[in-house]
Amino acid sequence: MTTDARAAVSCSDLRRRYGEGDAAVDALDGVSLEFPPGQLTSIVGPSGSGKSTLMHCLAGLDRPTAGKSWVDGTEITELDDSKLTSLRRDKLGFVFQFFNLVPVLDAEENVTLPLRIAGADIDETWLQTLLDAVGISDRRSHRPAELSGGQQQRVAVARALISRPAVVFADEPTGNLDSASSTQVLELLRRSVDEFGRTVVMVTHDPRVAAYADRVVLLVDGKVATDTPVDSERQVHELMQGV
Amino acid sequence: MSALALRNFSARKLRALSSALAVFFGVAMVAGTLMLTDSVNRSFDSIFTEVNEGIDVTVRPKVEVEGEFGEGANFARPLSEDLVEEVGAVEGVETAVGVISDETITIVDEDGERIGPMGPPHIAISALPEDVPFQPFVLVEGERAATADEAVIDSLTAEAEGYAVGDTIRVTGAAGERDYTVAGIAEFGAGAGLGGVSLVEFTFEEAQRLTGMQGQVNEIDAAAAEGTSPEQLAATVGEALNGGVEVRTGTQTASEDAGALQEGFGFLGTALLVFAGIAVFVGAFLIFNTFSITVAQRAREFAMLRMLGASSRQVMTAVLVEAALVGLLASLLGIVGGFGFVELIKGLFESFGFALPTSGLSLEPSTVVIALAVGVLTTVVAAFNPARRATRVAPLEALTETTGGTEGERSRSKRKTVIATLLLVAGIVLLPLGLFATANVESALPLLGLGLVLLFIGLAMVGDRFVGPLASWLGWPIERLRGVTGRLARENAQRQPGRTATTAAALMIGVALVVFVGVFASSIRASLSDTLDRQFVGDVAIVNTDGFSPIPSKIGEEVEALDGVEVVSSLSLVPARVSPGNSDVFLAGIDPETLGEVASLDWVEGSDETVAGLAADEAIVDENFGEKQGVGVGDELAVTGPSGDEVTATIAGITTRSRFIVDEVALGLDTVREQLGVTDNSTTFVNFAEEADPEATREQVDTLLSERFPSAEARSQEEFKADREAEIDQLIALIYVLLGLSVLVSIFGVVNTLSLTIFERTREIGMLRAIGTSRRQVRRMIRYESIVTALLGAVVGAVIGLALGIAAVTALADEGLELSISASLPITVLIAAIVIGVVAAIGPARRASRVNVIEAVQYE
Repeated sequence: MTTDARAAVSCSDLRRRYGEGDAAVDALDGVSLEFPPGQLTSIVGPSGSGKSTLMHCLAGLDRPTAGKSWVDGTEITELDDSKLTSLRRDKLGFVFQFFNLVPVLDAEENVTLPLRIAGADIDETWLQTLLDAVGISDRRSHRPAELSGGQQQRVAVARALISRPAVVFADEPTGNLDSASSTQVLELLRRSVDEFGRTVVMVTHDPRVAAYADRVVLLVDGKVATDTPVDSERQVHELMQGV
Repeated sequence: MSALALRNFSARKLRALSSALAVFFGVAMVAGTLMLTDSVNRSFDSIFTEVNEGIDVTVRPKVEVEGEFGEGANFARPLSEDLVEEVGAVEGVETAVGVISDETITIVDEDGERIGPMGPPHIAISALPEDVPFQPFVLVEGERAATADEAVIDSLTAEAEGYAVGDTIRVTGAAGERDYTVAGIAEFGAGAGLGGVSLVEFTFEEAQRLTGMQGQVNEIDAAAAEGTSPEQLAATVGEALNGGVEVRTGTQTASEDAGALQEGFGFLGTALLVFAGIAVFVGAFLIFNTFSITVAQRAREFAMLRMLGASSRQVMTAVLVEAALVGLLASLLGIVGGFGFVELIKGLFESFGFALPTSGLSLEPSTVVIALAVGVLTTVVAAFNPARRATRVAPLEALTETTGGTEGERSRSKRKTVIATLLLVAGIVLLPLGLFATANVESALPLLGLGLVLLFIGLAMVGDRFVGPLASWLGWPIERLRGVTGRLARENAQRQPGRTATTAAALMIGVALVVFVGVFASSIRASLSDTLDRQFVGDVAIVNTDGFSPIPSKIGEEVEALDGVEVVSSLSLVPARVSPGNSDVFLAGIDPETLGEVASLDWVEGSDETVAGLAADEAIVDENFGEKQGVGVGDELAVTGPSGDEVTATIAGITTRSRFIVDEVALGLDTVREQLGVTDNSTTFVNFAEEADPEATREQVDTLLSERFPSAEARSQEEFKADREAEIDQLIALIYVLLGLSVLVSIFGVVNTLSLTIFERTREIGMLRAIGTSRRQVRRMIRYESIVTALLGAVVGAVIGLALGIAAVTALADEGLELSISASLPITVLIAAIVIGVVAAIGPARRASRVNVIEAVQYE
């Protein structure tokens, strides 16, 4: 399989095996996917289907047992730790289930943290645009402990976008939020694709969440079972019910 | 990333402060010691520069053998008064005056008791003619002594004792006692004082008479005529006097006098720095532990930073910068705390009757630099390993709930075991090398110190393997007594064995050193007591009240004349040089005729008859001295006295374990007096007649001494023993206070570890509370965990301390040291450990018991 150089992220025949011998488990069993730029993709699947492992391998956080993956045209499977570090710094953004903000920094400082780590200049206009977009301009100098869960996650989304990454990975971004906050965060992710032209790959097990995407990839037992454009929440729901 | 470190530091102020406390005490001790030494040195420099101002040349008796503490000068022959004229006649001398400066006088109050603190001497000095260009004792009130009944006293003593011009003071000296009218009050060295010394100035003739120095002077001071430099003059005077005396320029004398005292204090400074080093070392353990724990707790944060693209170097820098900030805080506080440490030391010394001459403390730039370097470097070095561990946190850990426990962990712990074993082996090899293989203290101490440091680090590293079994053994009684809270405490102490091991190790160091000193001290006491029991068989011994200075030989004559006194036997101990070996020894002058009556010696060769028949050219040596110098009975020794006189003597007998009398070499008392020019004695032993009433006789002796020789006192064997033991106890108390600071640091370590651990277990504690555990039970659980940790450190420390003590005493067995371990020591250590555990747990236990159940269970 050839790789489209324009794809933000792609992988070919990814395999990831945990353990050895009889106890061996194939979390990924030959996955090949392409994520073109400017799309929001949901990866769904039941527990143990390999969706988190897929995301970890795509982001260079875990090493596949076999197969290759690319980010923005760079093959990442062979990169060493320091190259992976700069890849994460320059090309990737992350949104976690548990927000993972630095408690001693205020909201704005948390957002600009990736730029400070990279020693890059802060684009004030872009920062302001982001803070406005995520709706925390008026709370920019609050610390995480002074923010609600939804607000914290919106700060985390802004942080993921600040360095204009090639792709943003979101791991159960609404897993810890009430439904109103969930909606806000999902709309935010949607806007970051539509308005800011980012590429987002989101892992979730919630059909309602998955339905916000342009495309849904269903994993079952480490293999791609379905790969289809999203058309309605009902469609995604049925897709997952079918497993 | 440095900005983030700064944020972390200032956001967790309390934690930063409690981490800083670990290093604070060590830095305070370092800074305080440096301030003290600087200040003492400066005081002495200025005192002696001022005192010698205007003096171009000094002439003093030659001291051939200085002795270990410079005590040779006390025994050197004074100068003849005739020399004053001789010096005055030398070309280029403008003025030359003879000076009396004698430490054997005593100022007494109306009850005949010596005034002022014990220790620092009272010194008689002679007034200088008014036309002499140098006047070190500067009048601030009244007049100089014009008649033999007048005296001038120094301002500090006058102030302390409430003397005013016109008052009467009573002074006793070699010539007896006399009342003087205070004619004036004067300052010495601009009133800075000289460590509590009291000075009394008399007319020259009266000073000579009182001190029994008719026709003699202690020093001749000369001023040069116009156009002659001090150096030139010193050279011409030296030539003219042709040896036998010490001729120096005034500047040389000032710097040498100051230098001699500074050397003494330098020793104190070094000793204090050793204790400071111990506190810093203990503090380093705590920093290591605190950072290990916080790094583990913040693994998620580091993983997230890595996820956002921070390199491992950036994570490392963040942790190290935070450590440096903690170190900086500790150093700044420590510099301030240094002033407190100086006060502590001054207070301790004052309670021993010794005033340290510190003319105002000042903070030298060098002190600030050293204190900052010590604090920051210690913290950064101690945090280095935890910082490296922070870099090993995988980015993925930000996404998962699990932390740690990978294969890498195990292989690192294998490497850790190898390093720990190497350290332990190196430590265990170095310690006996230091104890047994080197002859002198200077080379033994660094070996011992390094050995101990390696041993302690090694033990802390392998400690996690023993925490399980030891904690479960030590915690067993608590579990039996206290049921489930005890059980949980015992298990909790073993949960993070590395953490418990390091916390306990910090305490272990302090306890090991305390026990070591305890064993050493009780052995010294026991050996001393044994030596005195065996050797001191007379009724009383007359010694100087300070315990070591010489006493006038006249005492013997006058005591002998008392009713009921049968035998008087005097002993003089003087520094001397002996060949073969050319070594400095304590030479004993013994009275052959009477020694057998008052003392008993253990013989290797010879017998009590050897002493009784000791000829003027015969010597007795100690077995160790004989072995070291390879000499035996019949061999000849060349002995040089403190003033440089020489005698030769043939060894007539060899004694062993008799160091109270024959420390190394003994000659006949007459030989020491007549041929080595020593006049004073060290000890005069007295036996009462059998038919005499011992109490009445003793009273006569006491009365005679207090009236005529208040610088001396009579002690029975028991009293003498008690005095020496009190001296040892005093020194031990001082050492314990200094080691106590290190133990204090380790208590903070226990507090710190417990607090951090509780923070980690908030959820669990909430759960325990949710299922019905009472606040009291939670407090108990924490307290028991604390006790188990403290006991762990104390028990291991006590074992190490005992082993070290036994090894050290064994190494010094040749010096007559016998092992003695008091039964109360282990019990005291156990009780102290429990108390430490309870005290350390107070704060953390309270916090744990206040955990909000609902919040804790929802705590993320």
